Amino acid sequence: MAARRLPGVSGRLGFLGLTLAYALLVAVCLGSLAQEDELSLGRNPWANLVKTAGEFARPSFLDVWFGETQLEYRSDDGRVLRIENRRQAEADYLAGLGRATWTTVRIATLGSLLGALLALPLAVLTARNLAAPKPLAWLAKGILDVTRSIHTLVFGLVLVGIVGLGSTAGILAIALHSSGTYGKLFAEAIETLDMAAVDAVRSVGAGPVQVFFNAIWPSVLPQFVSSHLYVWEFNIRDSTILGLIGAGGLGLLITESVALFQWGRLATVLIVIVALVSAFDALSRRIREALL
Amino acid sequence: MTIPSIVLDGVVCMAGGRAVLEIPQLNLAQGERVAVVGHNGAGKSTLLRLLTGFMAPKHGQVQVLGRQLVHPVPAETLRALRREVGQVLQGLHLVGRLSVLENVLIGALGRVPGWRGWTRCFPAGEIVRAEAALQSVGLLALAGTRADRLSGGERQKAAIARLLVQAPSLILADEPTAALDPSAAAEVCRLLVQAAAGKTLITVVHNPSLLPLLAERVIGLKQGRIAFDLPVGEVDDTTLMRLYRPEDSPQKAFWEVPSASKVLAAIGSKP
Repeated sequence: MAARRLPGVSGRLGFLGLTLAYALLVAVCLGSLAQEDELSLGRNPWANLVKTAGEFARPSFLDVWFGETQLEYRSDDGRVLRIENRRQAEADYLAGLGRATWTTVRIATLGSLLGALLALPLAVLTARNLAAPKPLAWLAKGILDVTRSIHTLVFGLVLVGIVGLGSTAGILAIALHSSGTYGKLFAEAIETLDMAAVDAVRSVGAGPVQVFFNAIWPSVLPQFVSSHLYVWEFNIRDSTILGLIGAGGLGLLITESVALFQWGRLATVLIVIVALVSAFDALSRRIREALL
Repeated sequence: MTIPSIVLDGVVCMAGGRAVLEIPQLNLAQGERVAVVGHNGAGKSTLLRLLTGFMAPKHGQVQVLGRQLVHPVPAETLRALRREVGQVLQGLHLVGRLSVLENVLIGALGRVPGWRGWTRCFPAGEIVRAEAALQSVGLLALAGTRADRLSGGERQKAAIARLLVQAPSLILADEPTAALDPSAAAEVCRLLVQAAAGKTLITVVHNPSLLPLLAERVIGLKQGRIAFDLPVGEVDDTTLMRLYRPEDSPQKAFWEVPSASKVLAAIGSKP
């Protein structure tokens, strides 16, 4: 890639200037926030931290084994209002959590695939070495920049208004936002194409379709798959937040537990998210290593 | 010297407003082995590009394997020509992601039309040929290895095996030994000549010690013109030195640089 140089940012002196400008920016950010008194930590941060950490340290799912079987809810005058089996209640919650996780995985999977398919033609148009007609390349690059810069959550909010609450809005939101990322990664994969391979196949008199399938496709496919796994994993993380706007999945449970200050339940949900993302990461890393 | 393989007549090639190749007349017969030597920019690669239709002459006639190349050459004619012209290039041109066997089978693409060429489902006969070709260059044991895991010498051997499968009647080799150590270079030259038996072989080469291995006729190019065209036996160091030396400059040719042992001896002789 031919890097266009910023004027005045060459050499050691230029780098020093850049560092000073950055330090100045940081100082301005800090100073102005401090002046507006926006850097306070609240009234008693330490007590709050200790209390929250204590509740987080006891994730709700432990109640499935250690919870009260006869938890009595009493009114102020001592009457027993109802008796709850905490073990049963948490087991039910876990089942719901499982269903929500499955919804999140489905949204991320379908959204990623749709995003990849949307991005593929745009990536072909923006890859510099394929030299697509200039206006088309600019248009494609514009679309990719726009979709990449609008957050999934924003897409989700707009789409919920269009297609209603539910998984469809989540899938479309994921697809639209990640198509920008996919487009960039795919275009870079195409740009690093080994032209010697293309020449090798062309030199034996192969036709354009033969060149595509024998030189270009095998060269870019592993990188495409690798990018796909990467963005897919990112989307699994991203889609856990989509429940916040009613698109279903784990995010719904997050909103619920935050609204009710049930930090123990939130801890359970977060543990599931971390486990899900790490499992997918381990799996995709193995697949990527096998491919490259 | 009966059937002409290549006929150039009054050819002038221009690049950047400058004549990079001027050949009034050149004939190569079927089965001839020719080496092209000359300094960088003398027009060696231009000559090869001319023969595969990648380069259009400004004036003159180019005839390769009985085909008159009139520019713009139709894509179909170019492809038909390239099927009959095998190329071994300096840049070790293989598809890195494919196995050695698949790379060798690429040589058969010209004969394998339709979906088989797209999906790399080659007919059994072609696979047998490819394996035989790998056997003859000594790479059969590496048939399933990915091409980007090979060493430089192994890559050029794979390219020669691809040539054997392609079975062209003209072979163009552009510095096929440029990236190789001396023993690998000699081995690759031997295999190349073996693969080119009965075919026309044109090799661009810099190392004068490989000339007798590769060619029976040597064409020296200097600034786009033919400086000499001699049987390999008549090409000696003086001829080559005159060719490589820049105009009016007594600079020594690169192989005249004293060898390490001579330098050491010279240092050692000083008190």
